[in-house]
Amino acid sequence: MTAAATPVDVILPQASEAERRALRFARVRGIIFAALGLIAFLFASNTMDTQATFKFWLNASGGSELSISASAGVLWILAGVITGATGIYQLTRGAGVRWRRWLALMLPFWIAATVGTLLAGKPAVLTQVFAGSLEYAFPISMGAFAAMICERSGMLNIAIEGKFLIGACAGSVAASMTGWVIAGPIVGMILGALVGLLMAWLAIEHKVDQIISGTVVNFGALGITNFIYLRILQLNTDLNTPPTIETVQIPVLSQIPVIGPILFSGTPYLYLAIVVMFALTYMLFRTRWGLRLRASGEYPQAAGTVGVDVIRIRYRAMMLAGAIAGLAGSYLSLHSAGSFQMNMSAGKGFIAIAAMIFGGWNPIGAFGAALVFGFSDATQALLSSLGVDVPPQLLTSVPYLVTIVVVAGLVGRVRGPAMAGVPYEQG
Amino acid sequence: MSGLRRRLRPLFIPALAVLSAFLVGSIFLVLTDLKNIALLPTDPVHAVTNAFGDVLNAYRALLQGAFGDPARFATAMQTGTPKAWATAFRPISETLLAATPLIFTGLAIAVSFRSGVFNIGGDGQFVLGALGATIVALALRGAPAPVTLVAALIGGIVFGAAWGFIPGFLKARTGAHEVITTIMLNYVALQIVQLSLRTDFLRQSSSSQPISKVLDFVRVPLLIPLTGLRLHWGFVVALLVAVLVSWFMFKTTKGFELRSAGLNLTAARYAGMSAGGSIILAMAVSGALAGLGGAFQVMGTVTQMSNDVNSGYGWTAIALALLGGTRPGGVVAAALLFGALNNGGHGMQVETSIPLDLLVFIQALVIMFVAAPNLVRMIYRLKPKGSEPGAPAEEGAAA
Repeated sequence: MTAAATPVDVILPQASEAERRALRFARVRGIIFAALGLIAFLFASNTMDTQATFKFWLNASGGSELSISASAGVLWILAGVITGATGIYQLTRGAGVRWRRWLALMLPFWIAATVGTLLAGKPAVLTQVFAGSLEYAFPISMGAFAAMICERSGMLNIAIEGKFLIGACAGSVAASMTGWVIAGPIVGMILGALVGLLMAWLAIEHKVDQIISGTVVNFGALGITNFIYLRILQLNTDLNTPPTIETVQIPVLSQIPVIGPILFSGTPYLYLAIVVMFALTYMLFRTRWGLRLRASGEYPQAAGTVGVDVIRIRYRAMMLAGAIAGLAGSYLSLHSAGSFQMNMSAGKGFIAIAAMIFGGWNPIGAFGAALVFGFSDATQALLSSLGVDVPPQLLTSVPYLVTIVVVAGLVGRVRGPAMAGVPYEQG
Repeated sequence: MSGLRRRLRPLFIPALAVLSAFLVGSIFLVLTDLKNIALLPTDPVHAVTNAFGDVLNAYRALLQGAFGDPARFATAMQTGTPKAWATAFRPISETLLAATPLIFTGLAIAVSFRSGVFNIGGDGQFVLGALGATIVALALRGAPAPVTLVAALIGGIVFGAAWGFIPGFLKARTGAHEVITTIMLNYVALQIVQLSLRTDFLRQSSSSQPISKVLDFVRVPLLIPLTGLRLHWGFVVALLVAVLVSWFMFKTTKGFELRSAGLNLTAARYAGMSAGGSIILAMAVSGALAGLGGAFQVMGTVTQMSNDVNSGYGWTAIALALLGGTRPGGVVAAALLFGALNNGGHGMQVETSIPLDLLVFIQALVIMFVAAPNLVRMIYRLKPKGSEPGAPAEEGAAA
């Protein structure tokens, strides 16, 4: 009885390449999780005396607070138990385990324990952190939606960054000149759609590689908005002092304790992002338009054979995406800063693409990813405002590293539309 | 005669592309001149002539900033003093200096394009190369200067190659699209640089800015020993590296394998070549070239490591690789052109207060026109041609 109790995860010779790969990854994950669990216990032994205090506002003005306290050591122990158990489960049961749910469960404990330890007894107001995450998530999620629409239709769009800048610059100028806030987003949308049209025309009509046309727009937008800022806006500040978009308290809902001040006291932009998220999910997966769009991205020849006008779909997708990205760009100058500044998107357009991938080319997933990235940004702001000396670079890198890990398939494989970026010849 | 025409033909589209980009640039220059636009209803003749004059003036300042003022050359001829010569040659020297990092990154991107990988990570590889050179130089402080210099240059190559290897390895092993991973790694590289500049080992303690100690003890030697001329041997090395890259890509087996992979990965695989190996090698070589550029930049031109050591060279390099038809000679020519534009732009900014950023826009237009040769043919009503020699490698895999 030599080969009797064969463990489940022994790589059998007849296993397919994909199965071997899944098993290998499962083992590596198991070892990593088990090791992380042990590390969490090590941290716990030093932090039993540290009190982690988290506070939530009960109303939008922040007058009264809900305060939750726990020992940081206890949080570490909880994180360690969950992580270690997941690791052992992975090692013994192989690849079939739904480990991503466990990851979702363990992450909050890891974050709470880490933040609690770093704060060393100082109370943290989480309402601001969560509200800040949502605020940051708006442009990221809208940019992700834009890139997603393009990729679903078979077009690569790495020019979200450039459209953000154009939307921000044009939005600020339009709102300043007219005096109406609403002019900003509208002009941002129009210009964004035109840039999308240009990109689609270059890619479809002139067979320009879509990464090149995206680079042209990113580069050109940076140059032209800097140029306009230095040549016109800096000297004529009246053209760059737009009315800002005010926050809107949704009646009744904003009065809910804890949740109200976080979710229902934001800018109209935030509510718009949530509406777009649900609308886009419905449109992509439940309408004829969505089916045709996805068919154009997955198998354009088949779509073309049954009479779908792939070219027209791609043009429209690029224009719609441009409008969404331009709208999101206007948020940067009309809400956050109150004026247009040079290169104010600062890489958010690329984080949006990261959010799209992390969210699995799915609107709700992308919004979730944008929230995760927003959370890492808001946590960094919280830590530095409380004087904790953590290099901000570590947290800033999180979205980028997460994206690399996700596209490399190290944490669950995501697959984008098959034909994104491949030109289609209409026959 | 016909031989000459055939030789000049590949230059035709790029030349028209540059011309078109400048024309579009001048339209924006006119449209953003509020003074002349305000003058238009009352005095249209003056408004139009002013606008034309401004554009010509701007481009004249650009040319003088890039290549020098003829009057200064005349003075230098008459007086013959070294100082006058230095003043006369300073613009050209600055142009070649500005072209140096562009040659390195342009070659880096050209190698990757030829091999069928889209290295958008030139920026990250460049700054990490600069960081690697800085770390090695400071670690070997006190050793004989030539030893430190060579070691630091190798440090730059190694760091850049490592930063190119990562996306190459991920693409070969997991299929992760290199465009996404290199863009992300660009940002990670910036964070690494900032993080390293917090350490006492690198940081200039007297400065409140995140900037490294001065690397004056390993300066790359100057090419012409005249005061005011900053051109260093990095430029000559860049030209030699271009020759080397040309030899490697077109005369060696490995280069042939890389180019085969770029033309048709599947065919290369069936011919017995390692597709994964080609991708990794191409990315590592590409990263090494960009890293060497970063090393020369930090030890030759700026002498202190900071985030400002790079000003979008990795992105500009995409334009250079396209403009130069992904051939080393073409890339060098394109880099000299862009170096002249960037350096001339400074002259333009000083003299006419037109922001330098106009040239970033013009460079973007150059990429657009070069990438869409049919667009150029359409504008100038040229006969369409079947295939474009030296066109960039076709690449369009899914993200």
